[in-house]
Amino acid sequence: MEKQWAGTTYGNEWMHKWLIRILRYIDVRFLYLFVAVLIIPVCLVLNPSRSIAYRYFRQRIGYGRLKSAWKTYVNHCLFGQVVIDKFAMYAGKKFRIEIENYDAYINLTKQKEGFLQLSAHIGNYEIAGYTLTCQDKRINALVYAGEKASVMRNRDRMFADTNTRMIAISPDMSHLFEIDEALSDGEIVSMPADRSSGSSKYIEHEFLGAKARFPLGPFSVATMHGFDVLAINVMKASLRSYKIYVTPLPYDKAATRQEQIRQLSLAYANELEKRVRQYPAQWYNYFEFWE
Amino acid sequence: MEQLINDLKLQIKEALHLEELSLEDFDENTPLFGEDGIGLDSIDILEIVVLMEKEYGIRMSKPKEGKAIFQSIKTIAEYVQENRKK
Repeated sequence: MEKQWAGTTYGNEWMHKWLIRILRYIDVRFLYLFVAVLIIPVCLVLNPSRSIAYRYFRQRIGYGRLKSAWKTYVNHCLFGQVVIDKFAMYAGKKFRIEIENYDAYINLTKQKEGFLQLSAHIGNYEIAGYTLTCQDKRINALVYAGEKASVMRNRDRMFADTNTRMIAISPDMSHLFEIDEALSDGEIVSMPADRSSGSSKYIEHEFLGAKARFPLGPFSVATMHGFDVLAINVMKASLRSYKIYVTPLPYDKAATRQEQIRQLSLAYANELEKRVRQYPAQWYNYFEFWE
Repeated sequence: MEQLINDLKLQIKEALHLEELSLEDFDENTPLFGEDGIGLDSIDILEIVVLMEKEYGIRMSKPKEGKAIFQSIKTIAEYVQENRKK
């Protein structure tokens, strides 16, 4: 099955507006509790993500039946929390952020060349967009064109002072040239590397004990002109804090193009596995990743 | 132009590993995308961009031009003819 996502945040514009209004006045923990007690149990009954998450914990993480069932609930609660946190940021709330290996990020921002930062649907990557900012280099974030207008407006507002631009995934593939142009101009490009975006081509790697498909796009773009690549994973460390992991991904830029792509994607898969093993409950790819 | 079209056909066939495609099927006007054409996608286009840079010294700089350039082998050849540096 091809990896697909509707490319949009759940809920309509009216719901998003009210969520932001509410979050201006109440503590996020009230909403966490509300979601955990009243929303998640209903979602678990109605949504197929239940069985996908359960299988992930059973087969990939290796938990027993009972623990997998409990972690499936925890996983959905955490997913609810990171969505709430996203809107809490729009409402002006702050979180404590710790950055591991920040020097690696700073060093790349100081060099003339552009670089890529690869994200995954674990933790809460959007937090990085408000934290890892750079006045000297523009950040170009690849986003799904179908995202809700209200979410895009809030992102635009939040990113207004952060030298960030959104590149929408386009059916005419012009986003690929925009990405390459941005990198060639010495800018930063941020894109997800765990779901396909515009092409169904993939590369397979051993990931959490089984073969998984990673989209070729990000690795193909990076190796076009030998750009440096960072994996950025933002994990929820506690109710009010996040930890950002910055990891340079090495590959032999003198190797053949196919080999560069293989090395880079393998380095990415290994780094992603490391973070997922560290925070197994923050895996939010609710589709058959290993099919 | 005819020589350039033939060179491009061979180079693209090799770069994209289109072994099953014969050069006779690979008409210069055949659309490169979609069900009516060869069925290439965005990753294939990146490979062609790398090829154009390596073989003809062309660094594409205008994102909006992409769609028009990669319609067919003929449109690529016309672009290469006008912009080649080697």
